Amino acid sequence: MSGILVLTEQRGGAWNRMSFEALAAGQQLAARLNMECSAAVMGSDVSALSNELAGKKLAKVFAVQHTLLKDYTSDGFITALEQLIRHVDPAYVILPHTYQVRDFAPALATRFKQVLISDVIAIHDGPVFVRQLFQGKLNADYKQTASAPCFVSIQAGVFRAEAVEAGATTVEVFTPQLEASQIRSKPGEPFREAAQTVDLSAAQVIVSVGRGIGEQENIAIVQELASALGAELAASRPICDNGWLPMERQVGSSGQTVAPRLYLAVGISGAIQHLVGMKGSKAVIAINKDENAPIFEVADYGVAGDLFEIVPALTKAVVAAKQ
Amino acid sequence: MKILVAIKQVPERDAQISIAGDGRWIDESDLNYTINEPDAYALEEALQLKDKNGGEVVVLCAGPERVTSTLREALAKGADRAIHIEADDLGHRDTLGLAQVLAEAIKDESPDLILTGLQSDDLGLGQTGVVLAEILGMPHATIIMQVEVTGAGLKVKRELEDGWFQHVEMPLPALLTIQSGGNKLRYATLMGIKKAKTKEMKTVQAAAPAAGQTITLERVYLPEKQKKTEMLTGTPAEIAAKLVEKLKFEVRVI
Amino acid sequence: MYVARVGARPMGAAFISGMHLSATLAEPAHFSRLEIALLLVGMVVSTALFFWRFGPILRIIFRSRKDTDFSLHPVGKRVWDFFAEVLCQAKVIRQRPLPGLAHAFVFWGFLAFVLVTLNHIATPLGLSFLHPSSYAGRFYFIFAALWALLVAVAIAGLFVRRFLARPIWLGEKVSYESGVIALLIFLLMVSYLAAFFVAPDGAGIRAVWWTHTLTLLVFLPLIPHTKHLHLVLSPVTVFLKRNGFSKIPPLSGDEDFGLVTGRDVTQLISLQAYSCVECGRCTEHCPASNTGKVLNPKEIILGTRSYLNEFGPASETPLLTDTKIDSPDNPAAKYMSMEAAFECTTCGSCEFQCPVGIQHLPIIIGLRRGATNTGTWEDPHGTKLFLALEKNGNALGLSATERDKFIQKQGLPIFDGTQEYCLWLGCMGGYDPKGREIIADFARVMQHLGTTFGVLKKEKCTGDPARRLGNDLAFQSMAEFGLKALETAKVQKIVAICPHCVRTISNDWREYGVAPEIEHHSEFMARHKSLLPQQSSGESIVYHDPCYLGRYREVYEQPREIVSMAGDLVEAPRSHERSFCCGAGGGLAFLGEENGERVSHVRAAELAGTGAQIVGTACPFCNTMFRDTLSAMDGAPPQLLDIAQLTARALPQTQKAGEQ
Repeated sequence: MSGILVLTEQRGGAWNRMSFEALAAGQQLAARLNMECSAAVMGSDVSALSNELAGKKLAKVFAVQHTLLKDYTSDGFITALEQLIRHVDPAYVILPHTYQVRDFAPALATRFKQVLISDVIAIHDGPVFVRQLFQGKLNADYKQTASAPCFVSIQAGVFRAEAVEAGATTVEVFTPQLEASQIRSKPGEPFREAAQTVDLSAAQVIVSVGRGIGEQENIAIVQELASALGAELAASRPICDNGWLPMERQVGSSGQTVAPRLYLAVGISGAIQHLVGMKGSKAVIAINKDENAPIFEVADYGVAGDLFEIVPALTKAVVAAKQ
Repeated sequence: MKILVAIKQVPERDAQISIAGDGRWIDESDLNYTINEPDAYALEEALQLKDKNGGEVVVLCAGPERVTSTLREALAKGADRAIHIEADDLGHRDTLGLAQVLAEAIKDESPDLILTGLQSDDLGLGQTGVVLAEILGMPHATIIMQVEVTGAGLKVKRELEDGWFQHVEMPLPALLTIQSGGNKLRYATLMGIKKAKTKEMKTVQAAAPAAGQTITLERVYLPEKQKKTEMLTGTPAEIAAKLVEKLKFEVRVI
Repeated sequence: MYVARVGARPMGAAFISGMHLSATLAEPAHFSRLEIALLLVGMVVSTALFFWRFGPILRIIFRSRKDTDFSLHPVGKRVWDFFAEVLCQAKVIRQRPLPGLAHAFVFWGFLAFVLVTLNHIATPLGLSFLHPSSYAGRFYFIFAALWALLVAVAIAGLFVRRFLARPIWLGEKVSYESGVIALLIFLLMVSYLAAFFVAPDGAGIRAVWWTHTLTLLVFLPLIPHTKHLHLVLSPVTVFLKRNGFSKIPPLSGDEDFGLVTGRDVTQLISLQAYSCVECGRCTEHCPASNTGKVLNPKEIILGTRSYLNEFGPASETPLLTDTKIDSPDNPAAKYMSMEAAFECTTCGSCEFQCPVGIQHLPIIIGLRRGATNTGTWEDPHGTKLFLALEKNGNALGLSATERDKFIQKQGLPIFDGTQEYCLWLGCMGGYDPKGREIIADFARVMQHLGTTFGVLKKEKCTGDPARRLGNDLAFQSMAEFGLKALETAKVQKIVAICPHCVRTISNDWREYGVAPEIEHHSEFMARHKSLLPQQSSGESIVYHDPCYLGRYREVYEQPREIVSMAGDLVEAPRSHERSFCCGAGGGLAFLGEENGERVSHVRAAELAGTGAQIVGTACPFCNTMFRDTLSAMDGAPPQLLDIAQLTARALPQTQKAGEQ
């Protein structure tokens, strides 16, 4: 049992961004432990994607291919990956902490009598895997104590996708044994609730509003600032749950993950579910009346004050500066 | 249909958490406990399914004596029966160990559907449901917003990243982990609490853990502030001026 | 002078422009046996008809569930209230002076007529005790005649008011029965007075006498069929009122969830429902009725009465109807709807105004309990409120750490048993920005006075909104938590800035334990007023009486003393016990948008309309309700300040809470 195996994620031939973050994590852990790092990509025909991975610094790329893996099903993936892992016999299995991984990885780990160490935010010497408890109030160090593959999933934004080292390696096609009868659920086509009119992931500047705004009418104040900055308007989950802004403007673990040049958080406390969606931003400015709000943990510049006074003043100053 | 809801009792969300002397866990004295929030939504989903399709809702919770209050509240909200798995050593069991305990407690129940919250407010591992499904050999789906009973089984709406959703058709019996916010929760009523007094709450003992833990929680500690935040002060106009300066020269967006 | 001969004494009489006026009552000299028989038959029939209707009503009242919390003590107060409200008609007159006085005359006239009427019936039977010839008789008959005049004028005036002037509080529909009764009363008086104008012999007097008699015999059975049943019931109703304003009875036993069906209606409620005189004073002062809501307190009582008439006290039919709109076969159904029941701010004007002792609030809150305790009330805002209380222990659903941060930031001392007072923050004081300002200023005032105080480390909501919305589970949970917290901390005295907290702790918590004594900060400051700065800024300040401080606690003067120290006190058109609600009470501050006009807008406009420069409040809810309305007004809207803030602004500026 040796080496690191990174399980990537793709859908319809397009990468889930977090795959490369997991890859970076795997490479760095491998370097630290003086082990080899391999990667796997799953699907029905993943030759293009596996060739892309072959250009990274990896011991091997496994193309796990089967027609029954075309669409994600938990049964299909768990069965196929169990076979892959028994074949590769790694010491560590690294996965990105995506919705899909949350669906199958715990069951996959169970097959090896292991427990997944999920949503890791740091890897320290040991290796010790750091997780967050009580919604980000505490950190916890986890260690594996068994002698079977250690399953770890990495939180978004902890490792930078750009840090993946390039290299050259070979692709091994791995065809798992799968019967249609083993797959018990039938997944439908992914769909969006409303027509997608805004792509927050492409925005350079985002002004985001949270519960501190109080009433729906007050959002206009923040919209003015967004317009002045030429920014997209986004929101934390409660605002969208209330229907004050459409769901597609939600940033957070259940909304969009964004990484703009500037993320201006107005009246957002910084609950962990929100932070996860924006902490990859290059610069964060936060305005909140509570100086102890967790948002300030991730902010470069903070204003502990009344947004109803600050935001209009800022809008005015921005407009003046732009003239 | 018989629906089983596995719930967890966790410290209240806005409890002041302090670290125990040995640094391995939190100080549990003087804490108030309540139902894990996603589990409250799982319970609500079960109750609504019962309202629509008839049947029975059984709630299940592992833990020390204090978890019976959360079980009683679940009965008050409309669950029909409760099973308390007495275990004082949950801190020494990992997810796999706990799921095995749950599986053992329900082995005679043969439920049609098992619901859990998608993760817990304290540990947040988000795995117990999936592991339980794997142990029981049941199909499962996670992060579910809506559940519909069809002729052939279930049609569920699964939440994906970035505002995408997906419908999944599955046979019964199955296990689902439920996302918060899918339904409107109901409040506990006096009538519910009175009725709960006559509902059955069975206590079973958790068997000693078969094996040691595969992962261990070594220590807990306060997160360090990794970023040095520059707090700006002054009158609103002054703050606005300072911010504009940062926006111009540091962040460079205007 | 014409001298009439009745008996042995000559009576004085006079002709006044052709009319024969006697100084005493004329009566037929004798009655034939037929007449006596007719009279007896008439009396039997009339009385039978009376009981034919009254009997079932009595049965309904007695068959209703017993009030488990009822007690005659303190009897002294009951006797006094009976004397003042029934005999002296104090409330009737004070709250609606002119019509009230007219009614008082009718009532006192009726009392005066009791002897006359008895004597009238007794005469043909040879049992009369007042003789037109005796001094007692003569005196009494003239005494009664004066009353008859007053009554006749009064009833005529009231008739004109009801049928010509038509004030809306008496209802939109013309009440024919009221007209009939008014005419009967008028006829009674006229037929009595006529006996002074006719000769004691001849057909004239007989006609007059029989007119009077027949009117009486017709009147009697009509009493239980109309709202004039209050003639019989209301003295009893006033005497047997629940002991306390807005007194909510404890639930009795595991099957009691409030007023769900007829089986939950108690004897007191039945008695009160049948006592309603439909005067509409409750509706006239109701903030919901005045702003276009469905809720009409009078109709709640009449709806209860109709329910009892139709279904009886053992019925399992729900009391609350589903309809929000008029249904053709039951146009009054909307008044007994859940929607109407939940529009009540529990301001108490209805209960306060009622001249016959009807207590609306236990009924309305009872109806809410029946809906909320059984989970039948499914309002998203209500559910959110209850969940917030369940989860966070405060009505706003905020994390308790927010309160901790405020205490820390403000430097408020924690109560440790050594201080004199526990300062109760409440949900508004702990979490609402304006409430916090009031706390901060009041803390400064206490500091200035050298009073030691501390705040509880952990405080949950007193449960007031849950209590008024009928959620007994949530209320019990909050009350028990609070009582325990106060006991553990060994608190002896509490002072609070919120009248809702004060009321709930001092009164409603009694069901679950004994709380330390608590007072409102206006009472506290008034007691110390000689030590407070008497620096009037000369600004005009209109004081708004909060419902839970005024009508509920009868604290009217102390806040005014504080206001007068800070500026010139101005009274709102509706003040003291007639103060118009701000709209927040009854849990309504936490429910969604109102239908119709906003109660807070109406009151804010009334306050601003006085032209005062400042609106002075003594309740953080009133303050919050007026805040946005006032600031949105055109022109120079008045400032809005709590009495603590008014006092604190005169204190030396350097003092901050936390500095001793």
